[in-house]
Amino acid sequence: MTAVLVAIVSLLVLGIAATLALDRRARGPLLLGTSFLYGSGVIFLILLGWSTVGLRWSLVGITIAALVIWSSIWFLTNKLPRPATADPRPVRPHWLDIATLLTLIGYALYATIAPLWEWDFWAIWGLKARVFLEHGGIDWRFLESQWNTFAHPDYPLLLPLNYDFVALLQGGWSDRWLGALNVAFGVALLCIVRGLASRESSTVPAALVTLTAASLAVSRYIGLAEGPLIAYGAAAVLFLRHGLLFDDDASWRHGAVLLGFAANVKNEGIAMMVAVAAALLVIKPRAILRLWPALALVAPWLILRTTHALPTDIATGSVSSRILYRLPFTAEILTFLARRLYEPWFWAAVLAGFLIAPAVQRRRESFVVLTTLVQLIFYVGSYYATPHDARWHVATSWSRLTDQIALPITYVVVLMLAKTVAGIESPDAEARPEQR
Amino acid sequence: MPIADRQTPTARRALALIALLAIVALRLEPQLLRFPFIDRDPIGRGLGVYPDRGVEQFPRFLQAVRERTNDGDSIVVVVPMMRWDDGYSYAYYRASYFLAGREVLPLVTSDDRAHEDNFRNARYIAAWRWNVPPGNRKIVWRGEGGMLLRRE
Repeated sequence: MTAVLVAIVSLLVLGIAATLALDRRARGPLLLGTSFLYGSGVIFLILLGWSTVGLRWSLVGITIAALVIWSSIWFLTNKLPRPATADPRPVRPHWLDIATLLTLIGYALYATIAPLWEWDFWAIWGLKARVFLEHGGIDWRFLESQWNTFAHPDYPLLLPLNYDFVALLQGGWSDRWLGALNVAFGVALLCIVRGLASRESSTVPAALVTLTAASLAVSRYIGLAEGPLIAYGAAAVLFLRHGLLFDDDASWRHGAVLLGFAANVKNEGIAMMVAVAAALLVIKPRAILRLWPALALVAPWLILRTTHALPTDIATGSVSSRILYRLPFTAEILTFLARRLYEPWFWAAVLAGFLIAPAVQRRRESFVVLTTLVQLIFYVGSYYATPHDARWHVATSWSRLTDQIALPITYVVVLMLAKTVAGIESPDAEARPEQR
Repeated sequence: MPIADRQTPTARRALALIALLAIVALRLEPQLLRFPFIDRDPIGRGLGVYPDRGVEQFPRFLQAVRERTNDGDSIVVVVPMMRWDDGYSYAYYRASYFLAGREVLPLVTSDDRAHEDNFRNARYIAAWRWNVPPGNRKIVWRGEGGMLLRRE
């Protein structure tokens, strides 16, 4: 357990330099949350780069590389003009935070109760990490082998390489406490949720939206990439929303970088990049250029994946013929999706809340709504294109996919409703005057 | 508050309050809130054996095979469940995890096609609850319900 905790603290410290380089005034939970996510992303890039140049991973080598990168970011960005958010409002605690804290404690105990047990952990995410650890780097022969397509060789490697960082720290493979990383990703996202909510609302709505987001930020699928994907993806969308609404440069930078890391977690993260770009294309086309860091971050993996010809299961065979075959069954597919929707009452309440909010507020949130809708279209579209039995594919993935997109839309609906309850119709006003 | 702001109609506010409370209530996870206060040992024990429920001996067998083979060795896994969806996929995936670093080869793939060439070419055969005639292979080890054979 010590090694995992040391790894989490190391990632946090490693990421502080990156956070402050993007936003010099980041403080409190927002600094904590972004630092962990950046630390995790940076260690992924170090291990990926190390492996790509053909060096064998070693703890000493990786530590030196991390220190060099940390120092470089720190000293180089210190000399540049100081980028900072326009609104570094402090976060104040509230008694509702006790329930949030209790949820997180319960989750932490659950996530670390046993060696990781999920099938997809030991057949995909953990398997790759363990194989790479034995190999001392990314084992391209394993990924290219025809016998290992079950491990989804085309999936990006941020999570397996984070597991490898833990394994390097503990001097060997153990899956006993890796669930703690899941907890860290969830906590990091909640810190960001609380920090951002505090910038645009008073303490009660900020605490309420954090409590509501708590069970969405922590993935039920321990050891799988859902946890980090939700963390990076939701944080990216919320920062970009903040950047759009409040014209905040620091939020744009955070959003673009986090989006790039989301694309390095799962293929759905790459789809999310496209969804965000599509939403911006409708709302503010020129702003798409501000997403360049996301593209720069995902490019190395896309190039490596292409050069090693790693197969994507959904693209095997004739995708168009499968889509054409299933199109006449659209009613059946959508009915099946509706029947298999996880937590339908929650989604109904979110939809109702969205419709109840004043139109001016709904229009204001069009970025998050459009991003969520486009991502949803991608997910539903994948069931038309899948080479597997569509019912099986829905049954084994639909609840995970809806979990991935739930947090940002819930965040905006809760804040809209809080403002409406407080009798505020202007979208730019705070949800409630600060209680002192 | 800006002057342009105005009070939202009461009905909308009431509906908003109901929707807000509903969303918050539906997102509270009683299981997680209760988790710190319950006896977690049975849950931990259950999840600890969850991947191998019913075949708890199999991971011990794989661990023993791991201890007797080296990185880069090719190994095929023979089990009684020789159809993909009847259990071979589990055995193959599980072996790939426990025997990371070795080259684990399947005898059956997801289309239920047999790959006898893998049986012939692999350096080791890890047979669990299945009697493989040694032929020109040497039995390296027996135990945990199976045996490990090496091609001579």
